[in-house]
Amino acid sequence: MLTVTDLKASYGKIEALHGISFHVRRGEIVTLIGANGAGKSTTLKALMRLKLPECPTVTGGDILFDGESIMNMEAHHVVGKLRMTLVPEGRQIFGNLTVVENLTLAAWTNTGDTRRNLDHVFGIFPRLAERMRQRSDTLSGGEQQMLAVGRALMSKCSVLLLDEPSMGLAPLLMYEMFRTLKKLNDEGMTIIVVEQNARIALQLADRGYVLDTGEIVAEDAGKALLQRPEIKAAYLGG
Amino acid sequence: MRCGMPAVFPAPAPRRAPADHEKGSLMESFIQQCVNALQWGSFYALIALGYTLVYGVLRLINFAHGDIFMVGAYIAFFLSTGMLAEGGMFGFSRELTLALTVPLTMLLTSCCGVTLERIAYRPLRRKGAHRLYVVITALMCGLILENGNLALLGASRRALPELLDKRIYSLGGIAVTNLKLLVIFTAVLVFVFLHGIVTRTRIGMAMRAVSYNRFALPLMGIPLDSVIVFTFVLGSGIAGLGGVLFAMSYPVLEPYMGAMTGWKAFIAAVVGGIGDVRGAFLGGFLLAFVEIMVAAFLPSTFRDLFAFSILLLILWKRPTGIFGMPLTTKI
Ligand SMILES: Nc1ncnc2c1ncn2[C@@H]1O[C@H](COP(=O)(O)OP(=O)(O)O)[C@@H](O)[C@H]1O
Ligand SMILES: [Mg+2]
Repeated sequence: MLTVTDLKASYGKIEALHGISFHVRRGEIVTLIGANGAGKSTTLKALMRLKLPECPTVTGGDILFDGESIMNMEAHHVVGKLRMTLVPEGRQIFGNLTVVENLTLAAWTNTGDTRRNLDHVFGIFPRLAERMRQRSDTLSGGEQQMLAVGRALMSKCSVLLLDEPSMGLAPLLMYEMFRTLKKLNDEGMTIIVVEQNARIALQLADRGYVLDTGEIVAEDAGKALLQRPEIKAAYLGG
Repeated sequence: MRCGMPAVFPAPAPRRAPADHEKGSLMESFIQQCVNALQWGSFYALIALGYTLVYGVLRLINFAHGDIFMVGAYIAFFLSTGMLAEGGMFGFSRELTLALTVPLTMLLTSCCGVTLERIAYRPLRRKGAHRLYVVITALMCGLILENGNLALLGASRRALPELLDKRIYSLGGIAVTNLKLLVIFTAVLVFVFLHGIVTRTRIGMAMRAVSYNRFALPLMGIPLDSVIVFTFVLGSGIAGLGGVLFAMSYPVLEPYMGAMTGWKAFIAAVVGGIGDVRGAFLGGFLLAFVEIMVAAFLPSTFRDLFAFSILLLILWKRPTGIFGMPLTTKI
C-alpha cells in the first residue's frame, strides 16, 4: 500500500535521510526504530508531505500510496483523500482549545456524524470524556497523548502514523497506549509507529526497520529483530 | 455632520464653565457627547477588529490594515458616484446605490486584503521569515497603498455623495441622526457576528488553533492557507464596511485618512487585549470615549495627549490589555 523508494530529505543543506526504502502493507503494524537523531521524525514528516518552514524538504526518491506517487500532494490532502494522518512527536495539541473542540476540529475532513464519532473516541478514552470542557493544556501528559490519538481517530483515517507515542508516559500508561494501538489494528487500522523504546515497539509490530543516521540498516519481522544480537546490543540495552 | 478633516473630529464642545441656568444642558451635552463617542468608537472598533483577527491567527500586526480601510472608503466613493443618478453611469436611486455599495465595497476590500496576503505575507511565511521582516513588510504595504493612491488620484480630497436621507431624531436636547444609529448598530452587529464565528463555528476553532499550533493543523486535514485567507477576508471586509460608513459620516476622503485612524485603532486593539475580539470592540469605544470627553472639556489640542496618556496608564496596569491573558493564544 505504501512504498517508499530511495527517499532523500534535508533541512537546508544538511541531508537527514540518505535514500531510505521501505514498504507497508494494508493492515500491518510496522515500526521504525533508531536512536535520537536517526531521522525517524523526518521520515514521518516527509510521508505526510508537510511543507512548513521547520519541516524537511524531500530532495529525491518517491513515495507511492496504492501505486500512485504522492510527491505533489499537500498535507491536508494526504489526510482528506488518502486517509492517512500523523500523531506528531510531542502531541502538538491545540492547548488553547477545549478537549471537545480539539476533537471536533479534527473531524474537519470527516463528513460523518461528529456526535457518534465523539462517542466512539470517548469509548476508547473515557478519561477524555470526563475532561471534555477543559482547556486541553491543563491535561496531564498521558491525557494529552490520548487526545492526540483521539484527534487522529476523529479524522476517520485508516493509516495512522505515530511519532514516539510512549514519550513521557508512565510504564502503565505506555502499555495501555500500545494495547489500544493493537486493538485499533485488529479493527483494520494500518499503523506505522516510530519509537525509541524499541522493545515494546518490536513486540507489537509485525515488521520493523532499524534506522541509523539517515539509513536503514536492518529490517525483519518484529519478533525476529528482538532476537538479533546486534539489535539487542544497540537498542535493547544488551 | 459635515465637518472638515476627520482627524480633528469631534468639533470641540463649549469650553467655558456653564452658568447655573445651563446645568441641565451640561447633562444633555454629556449624553450628546456619549452618542458621538459611540459613533466614533464604532469606527475604531470596526478597524480594530481586523487588526485583532489577523494578529490572533498569524501573530502578525498587519500595519497595512488602516490603509485597507482607506481603500474601502475610496472603493465606496467610486462605486457610489458611478452608480448614482447625478452624473453616474447607471442612474440608480440613492437607496439602490447604498444597498449595492455596501456589499460590493466589502467584497472588493476583501480582495485587496487577500491580495496583500498572497503577494506580500504568504511568501515570507513559506520561507519562515522572522516576524520583524513581516511587520516591516506590512508597514511598507501600507505606505505603498497610501502613495499609490496619491500617485493615481492626486492629493485632492473627495467627498462621497449623500446616500442616505438625513433624519434627525431628538430627545430632549439630544440629537441623533439616522446615520449615527446605523453606524453604531452596524458595529454592534459585526461584533456579535464575529464573536459568534470565532467561538462557535469550526472555522473559528481553526482560527484559534492556528495561533497556538500551526504545525498540527494540516494533520487534521485543514488547509492552513484557507484559514488564513478567510481571516483576511473577514478583517478586510469589515474594514471596507467601516470605510463606507466613515465616508458617509465624514465625507472627506484623502490618501492618508487610514494612517492616523489605523494607528489609533491598532492602539485600541492593544489596550483591549490584542488577539481578542471583545478587546478590540471594547478598546475602540474606550479610546473614542476618552478622546471625546477630553475634547469636550479641554482645549482640543489636549485631546491626543490625554487620550494616549490614559491608555498608557491602562497598559501600565495591565500590560496584556483588558482582555489579555497572561499567556498568548487568543482571538
Ligand atoms: N528543523 C530541523 N532543522 C535542522 N535539522 C533538523 C531539524 N529537525 C531535525 N533535524 C536533524 O535531522 C536529523 C534527524 O532528525 P529527526 O528526524 O528529528 O530524528 P529522530 O526523530 O530520529 O530523533 C538530526 O540530525 C536532526 O538534528
Ligand atoms: Mg523524533
